[in-house]
Amino acid sequence: MGQQGDFLQVLRERGYAVDDLRHPVNGNGLSGNTEVTTGTTVFAMKYGEGVLVAGDRRATAGNVVMYDRTDKVLELDRFSVLAIAGVPATAFEMARILEHSFKYYRRSQLQDLSFEGKLRALSTLLKNNAPAALAGTGTVAPIFAGYDQLEGCGKIFFYDILGAEFEAVEYAVSGSGSPTIRGILFYMNRWGRGPVAGLDEEEALVFVLRLMTSAAEFDSATGGVDAHAQLYPIVKRISAEGVKTISVERLKTLFSEKVLNHV
Amino acid sequence: MYEEPYRWIEAVANRRQYLDDQFTQGNPLVGVSFSQGILLLTFNRGTEKIYEIYDRIALGGMGHPADLEKLRYTLLDMAHVEGFQRSPADVTASRLMKNGLAPVIKQAFEEIFKAPYIAKILLAELGTIQDRDRLFTINYDGMFEEQREFGLLAASSSVRGLLAPEWKTHGSLSSLQSALEVSLRLWGIASLLQASTPFPDNDEEGTVPSSTAPVSTMPNDEAIASRIRDMLSKETLECVLLDRESGKMETYRALSLPELQPFIPSVFQPAT
Repeated sequence: MGQQGDFLQVLRERGYAVDDLRHPVNGNGLSGNTEVTTGTTVFAMKYGEGVLVAGDRRATAGNVVMYDRTDKVLELDRFSVLAIAGVPATAFEMARILEHSFKYYRRSQLQDLSFEGKLRALSTLLKNNAPAALAGTGTVAPIFAGYDQLEGCGKIFFYDILGAEFEAVEYAVSGSGSPTIRGILFYMNRWGRGPVAGLDEEEALVFVLRLMTSAAEFDSATGGVDAHAQLYPIVKRISAEGVKTISVERLKTLFSEKVLNHV
Repeated sequence: MYEEPYRWIEAVANRRQYLDDQFTQGNPLVGVSFSQGILLLTFNRGTEKIYEIYDRIALGGMGHPADLEKLRYTLLDMAHVEGFQRSPADVTASRLMKNGLAPVIKQAFEEIFKAPYIAKILLAELGTIQDRDRLFTINYDGMFEEQREFGLLAASSSVRGLLAPEWKTHGSLSSLQSALEVSLRLWGIASLLQASTPFPDNDEEGTVPSSTAPVSTMPNDEAIASRIRDMLSKETLECVLLDRESGKMETYRALSLPELQPFIPSVFQPAT
């Protein structure tokens, strides 16, 4: 089946449980004292030069901060990014499967998988994961952003935990800190100085840092920015040139000049 | 009738002769390790012969396109499942060759009631430093070799022995330009030697090792240049770089002719 470039099928043939990444616990949910690692803020927004995707660094389980250096914005290939929200165990596994699927397709078929094909691949994984999502052990609600080479533009899609796919016109948000960001973005687009999609790169990056700081202010599961610990969100830019990670040095400078000390 | 040992040996010898004949019209393929990476080079008549297998591994092939495709998929499946279930660092050309390709090709060669693979393959693996670069070549009978700096596919494996002294004269290659220049020259020599060697890896009995195959004289510079000019005007130069300086996990980069043009020595350039 590999001749069709289907890596999922190759995995299935080797007995890997690709259609059942996480068994529901006890058949109908979590045991009483189990805390699943979750809670996050990821978002993607269009701006003047492409798409920016950002994610905070914190992973929590209930009230416990598990880790403060998580990378939730994962490059799947040169032109696409998955921002994960939900149970990291399942989300990271999905990202790994997708990354290898896209590589396998490109190398075996000698052409890139289409943007539409990449979306279908993610939908399939989410759909197959529905039992675990409903049970609460494998809930994942990711954002997929990438550059569509056929249409020559950046695109953003977001998903519910069952795999329903929605295209975002201007931005998409996910995770426990997302209501704050969604509200600010709505306000800025409606009553701000102009649509966020018209910002240049520096303005957009400053805006991203301010959004993440706002989300962290109201959501304990969002890490925000910790300048003392040199912890900044992961921010990636998507354009016709592909995916590029914004350097910590640049975020540090912008945060210091335009967020922390801004009056 | 093949149950008798003598018949079986005779059948294998016949098969060897049949396979040798299949490669006489094929284009050689050269792989060289240099400071920036590994350069793979050949000419094709429309069907590509160099492919990406994994992040740091490329395949060059000679033979029947359908057989090359089948073997390419064997490697792709093995590499990607390994990289997914373990780590990309665990995917090595050595394991792909020894555990993946060699047993499959050898078995097909010796099962005389089935068709053998008409394929010779070069697997190149880019190291983090030049000293760790590896080039593996495998013959149609499953016999494989490992080299550090220079790998060659040709109709006759004796051509590689003839090219070894020529390779040693070049010393270490420090740029893409020098790697391309040397690769083109080696390809030209291999192509001419191949054309002048009538029975590649096989004598009448099929038992003489390739090292004792007929020795051809080294072509002169003008003959080499003429051969390359001729090929550049008639066929497509296929060139791939496994780039140590890419700064990315994936290092495979196909080089287009316009990209290569400035590096091709004028003596090899066809008259316009």
